[in-house]
Amino acid sequence: MAESAPAPTPAARLPRRRVSRSEAAADRLREGQTEALGQRAVELARFYAGKVETVPKVPVRSLHDFSLWYTPGIAEVSRAIHRDPDLAFELTGRWNTVAIVTDGSRVLGLGDIGPRAALPVMEGKALLFKFLGGVDAVPLPVQVGSPDAFLSAVESIAPAFGGVNLEDIASPKCFGILEELSQRLEIPVWHDDQLGTAAATVAGLVNALTVTGRDVREIRTVLLGAGAANLATARLLLALGQSPERLSLVDQHGILDAERDDVDELSIRHPWKYRLALKTNGGGRTGGLAEAVAGADVIVAASTPVPGTLRPEHVRAMAPQGIVFALANPVPEIWPEVARAAGAAVVATGRSDFPNQVNNSLVFPAVFRGVLDARARAMPDEIVLAAARELARGAERKGLSPHHILPTMEEAEVFPHVAAAVASQAVALGIARRRHSHDEFLERARQLMARPARLVRALARARLTEPMPRAPAKPRRFRA
Amino acid sequence: MTAEPPAAPPAPAGPPLHVRPARDADVAAIVPLLLRLKRLNEEFDPLLKVREDADARAGEILRAQVADPKAVLLVAEGAGNDRDKVVGFVRAIVRERPFYVPQQEGVIVDIYLLPLYRRRSAGEYLLAEASRALKAKGAGVVTAEFPAQNEIAGRFYAKRGFRPMTAIHARPL
Repeated sequence: MAESAPAPTPAARLPRRRVSRSEAAADRLREGQTEALGQRAVELARFYAGKVETVPKVPVRSLHDFSLWYTPGIAEVSRAIHRDPDLAFELTGRWNTVAIVTDGSRVLGLGDIGPRAALPVMEGKALLFKFLGGVDAVPLPVQVGSPDAFLSAVESIAPAFGGVNLEDIASPKCFGILEELSQRLEIPVWHDDQLGTAAATVAGLVNALTVTGRDVREIRTVLLGAGAANLATARLLLALGQSPERLSLVDQHGILDAERDDVDELSIRHPWKYRLALKTNGGGRTGGLAEAVAGADVIVAASTPVPGTLRPEHVRAMAPQGIVFALANPVPEIWPEVARAAGAAVVATGRSDFPNQVNNSLVFPAVFRGVLDARARAMPDEIVLAAARELARGAERKGLSPHHILPTMEEAEVFPHVAAAVASQAVALGIARRRHSHDEFLERARQLMARPARLVRALARARLTEPMPRAPAKPRRFRA
Repeated sequence: MTAEPPAAPPAPAGPPLHVRPARDADVAAIVPLLLRLKRLNEEFDPLLKVREDADARAGEILRAQVADPKAVLLVAEGAGNDRDKVVGFVRAIVRERPFYVPQQEGVIVDIYLLPLYRRRSAGEYLLAEASRALKAKGAGVVTAEFPAQNEIAGRFYAKRGFRPMTAIHARPL
């Protein structure tokens, strides 16, 4: 791809004031919508008091049945698992149950609000796990004083679970925690803020490169923000063939580079960032975002939810037909229309109200469906890449365009394919406890992923879930 | 630490280094590297806070070391575009041990390589060159000083046959 800065596009010569005024109005509208959603969420949280509950999956014809579901009959099931621990995946719900574990140290954009305040978010995640992936997920915010205590907590509960989803843990401790747990546990461990976002980003990028006629081995890429998501994105991009010399990361101190003054400190405090500092940014560009983006083919911003973090002049400085991912939530670093007006060919955000939503929910339910169906022992990057590639193929099957580089959440037929690709990859890597064919995994995933929607409809029809109250909600009546 | 210093490994395969004794003219290039190392040490312990006049002191100390026959000051130069550029250094002294044998101890006080030159055995090469120079000055044991909390340095030396010998414990007065 061309390294030289492109000539200004016609859109770049639009009167600046006109753009700013409409932008300000759009900002106010969006802020108002976000606030209204928040108020409604609080009303509904009060009304429903929790989003998931435990429901029996076996018949209970009379209390006598408990001699099978519980003591004395159940003792024989325990003996069998004691003799062969992997039988826990066959004889209990372990095969389909994951723990959603957080210490509440970096919840959404709210910061370190602690495990109690993190619970509603983890409950929401559990609902997504079930509804989208057919996975039983247990929200487990833990009160711990150190990363070591967190590791011990997760290690101690692992026997009950077929996988662990780490959530909303501050960077950089999240990297060490994921690495260490992946070593210690015999089940897949996933940190959604790293891997979920990175997999969705890479899937979108694969198709954005196709749409703009680029080869990943030749692109110059700038990652703005060097937190959990972008460091994982960097790792996956390098695995896909991105040249490290043509990759630059930019954080609050500027372009990450081996010669930067804080690199020694990073070697101690943030070895993951340090390793990237040594291998990326060939040519030793120095400075900030403005210097980094000159001639870039791709910008992936996963930084601060402030519009204007990425500015039109940054996009104009890119190579022609630039690819811009502005992933901060709820407010992207640059609004899509502004990026496009400045010459971007493909724009993605984290929001559902714009095309090309980079959404973790496209990834984690299907990834866990896949690893659980294969009873996988681990979650190596090959699995994450298999999910990203299959997600990209899913969008491709419907036809690629600058406005369609990723499936939408409505394109649900894609997700069982992602699950099957993941399960098959686990088999290929030799980390699957259960080895089926791709088609068998696909069929199983289709069934298991379709069931929760039927369940939710059936519960609603039977009035076992309350209908959504009209706002403002009244306190919930007690139902026996 | 009575073991023989390790034999010098072959020059690293990555960016090759050229290691040679420092000259007076190198001092200006070594000072910023020395200060980077001291600032890194500061990260580990508040009792290693770098003095405001460290910059000026560094020049004096390094110049004295160049002239001191009991001291070792080596510089590592890069290659290619970095040819003739000082990319690392090692500073060591030979200390008398009046009550122990071996009688002479070679103490590596500072060792630093610019990040781009780390790994690929570059640090090992620099350490081996320093050990050889210390042995030539009569040292029968080589030791290394670094902040107790610096686990990376601890692992670096442990992998090369070093083990804890004496410990320094501190408290502010």
